Amino acid sequence: MKLDRLNIKTGIEVVTLILAFLLPLILGINQYLLTVLILMLVFTMYASAWNLLATSGQGSLGHAAFFGIGGYVSAIISNSFGLPVLLTIVIGGFFAAAIGVLIGLTCVRLKAWFLAMVTFGFAIIIQTITVELSGLTGGWDGLPAKKLVPVTITNHVMYEYYIILAIAVVVTVIIYMIMKSKMGLALEAIRENELEAKVMGINVTVYKLKAFAASAFFTGIAGALEIHHFGYVTPEVYGIDISFWPIIYSVSGGLYTIGGPILGTVVITTIWEVLRSFGMTYGRFILIGLILILIVIFLPKGLISIPEKIRSKFLKN
Amino acid sequence: MDIGVYIQILVWGIYAGCIYILLAIGLNLIFGVMKVVNFAHGELLMFGAYATFWIYTFSGLNPYLVIPLAMIILAILGVFIERLCFRPIMGTGKLNEIFLSLGLIYLFQNLAAVFWTTDSRSIHSPFSNVSISIGSINLPVDYIIIIAITAICLIALQLFMKKATLGRAMRATSQNREAATLMGINVERMDMLSFALGAAFAATAGSLCLITGQMVNPYVGSIPAIEAFAVVIIGGLGSIPGAIIAGLTLGIAENVVPLLMQSSVGLLGIEMSFSAWKDTIAFIILIIVLVIRPTGIFGEKEE
Repeated sequence: MKLDRLNIKTGIEVVTLILAFLLPLILGINQYLLTVLILMLVFTMYASAWNLLATSGQGSLGHAAFFGIGGYVSAIISNSFGLPVLLTIVIGGFFAAAIGVLIGLTCVRLKAWFLAMVTFGFAIIIQTITVELSGLTGGWDGLPAKKLVPVTITNHVMYEYYIILAIAVVVTVIIYMIMKSKMGLALEAIRENELEAKVMGINVTVYKLKAFAASAFFTGIAGALEIHHFGYVTPEVYGIDISFWPIIYSVSGGLYTIGGPILGTVVITTIWEVLRSFGMTYGRFILIGLILILIVIFLPKGLISIPEKIRSKFLKN
Repeated sequence: MDIGVYIQILVWGIYAGCIYILLAIGLNLIFGVMKVVNFAHGELLMFGAYATFWIYTFSGLNPYLVIPLAMIILAILGVFIERLCFRPIMGTGKLNEIFLSLGLIYLFQNLAAVFWTTDSRSIHSPFSNVSISIGSINLPVDYIIIIAITAICLIALQLFMKKATLGRAMRATSQNREAATLMGINVERMDMLSFALGAAFAATAGSLCLITGQMVNPYVGSIPAIEAFAVVIIGGLGSIPGAIIAGLTLGIAENVVPLLMQSSVGLLGIEMSFSAWKDTIAFIILIIVLVIRPTGIFGEKEE
C-alpha cells in the first residue's frame, strides 16, 4: 500500500501530538524544561495568530500590543473580581480582539510599510498608556497575576503544561479551520491582489477586520497564558522583541501555512535554548538574525518547504 | 514660563529634526531608486557613530573632521548590504524586506555588542563650552554647526541630483526603472549608489549625535530610526521636500508639545509631566496623518 501525502501529513500531526503529550514524562518533571516547553506552546499560538493576520497580507510589527492587553486585562480582572483564570484568559482575548478591530480600522487602507509602522506605533502607544494608568496597572512595576495552577499543588508546572497544551491544540485547530474556510481563501486572495479580490466580490474591509480580530483574540489568549504562567505582568510584555518573535518563528517555519509557525517556534526556540546552555548571549541574537536573513533570501517558503524542495529535486532526476 | 525657554526648545527641536532629516533622506533615496525600505537604517547610524568614535579616539582629530571618513566607511558597508541582502530579494514582495531588515537589526546590534560591548560611550565636542547668548537665550555652537552641516548635506544632494550626470541617472531610475535601463543607465549601479549615499547620510546623523554628547551604544539607532520612518511616512515615501518639512515638524513637535501640554494642564492647577509621551507623539501624528491620507502628506498615489 502506498502512503500518500495526506496520510504522511496526518501521521506527522499525530506523532507530534503524542510527543507533546509524552515529552514531560520522558524528560522527567524538570522545571526548567517544562517552562521552556510551556513558553514554546504559548509562542506557537502567538506565531500562528500573527501568521493568520499575515495571510491577509497585513504584516504587523506590533503584535505585542495584543499580547500585553490580553495579559493585563486577564490579570486585572482575575485580581479584582476573583474570577477563575481560565475564564479571564478568554476575556483578555476578547478585549484584545476589540482593540484589534480598532487598530485594524486604521490599517484597512494601509500598505506594507505603512501598516508595519502604524502597528509598531500602536504597541508603543499602548505601552505608554499602560504605564501612565499606574493606578490600575502598577506602572513600570507591573502587577502580580494568579498562577494558572496554584503553586500549592504538587507538580503544578506539569498540570500547567497539559492545560496549555490542550488550549494550544484547540487554538491550532480553530486557526486551521479558519485558514481552510472561505475566510482563509478570501484572506489569501486579498494578499495576492486586493483589487482583484474586490472585483471577485470579496468584502476586503470586513475580511481584513475579521483577520485582525481573530489574530488579536488568539494573541491575547497567548499573552494571558504567559503572564499567568509567570505569575506577574510588567509593561515589558509590550517589548519590541515580543512583537518580533512571532515574525521570526513564522518566517523561518513557513509563512501562510498552518504547520510553519509551529515548526518555526519549535526549531528556533530549541536553537535558542541550546545556545543559552552554551552561555551565549549576543551570539544567539546574531545567529537568529543570520538564520532569518538566510531564510528570507534562500528559503522564502520556510523550513516547512524543505521536504517539498527535496521531493521536486528527486522527481527531476 | 518665558518665551526664551520656548525658543531654546525650538532650537533643540530643530536639532532633533536635523538628525531625523538626515536619516529620512537616506531612506527616501533608497526607496526612490529601489522601492525597498531598509528598516535597519538606525543600525547604520549606530555604526556611523562608532566609526567616528574610534577614529576620533585613535587619531585625536577634531571630531567634525572625522565625519567624512565615517561617511566613506558606511558607504562601503551600504554597498555590501545592498549587494548581499537586498538585491537577492528585490521584487519578491514588500513583506520580505521587512523580515530581512529585522534580521539585519538583530545581526548588527549584537555584532556591535560583541565587538564593542554594550558600554555607553561618548566624546566631548571641542566646542562643548562655547555658546552664543542672545538676551536670555543660550545657543550652543554645536547646534548651529549641526544645523549648518545638515543644510550643506541637503544642498550638496540637491546639486548632485540636479546637475551631475550620475544624479540625473539616479532620478531617472527612480522615475521609471525600465525606461532608464533602455536609456543605457546601469540601474543596478544606481541601486548601489543610493544605498551608499543613504548609509553615508546615516553615518553623518550618527556622528552628529555622538559629537553633541549623546551616549552611543549598540542600541542607540532604534529610536532615531523609528522617528525617521515616521518622518518618511508622514512626508510621503520618496519625497525629499516632504522629509525635510516632516522632520522639522516632528523634531519641534515632540519637544514643544509635552511642554505645552504640561503648562496648559498647569493652568488648570494640575501638575503632570508629559515627558513619557515624547516618543509616542511621533506615532500619534503618524497615525492621524495616515488615517486622513494613507500615502502620507506628500506621497504619490501608489500603483
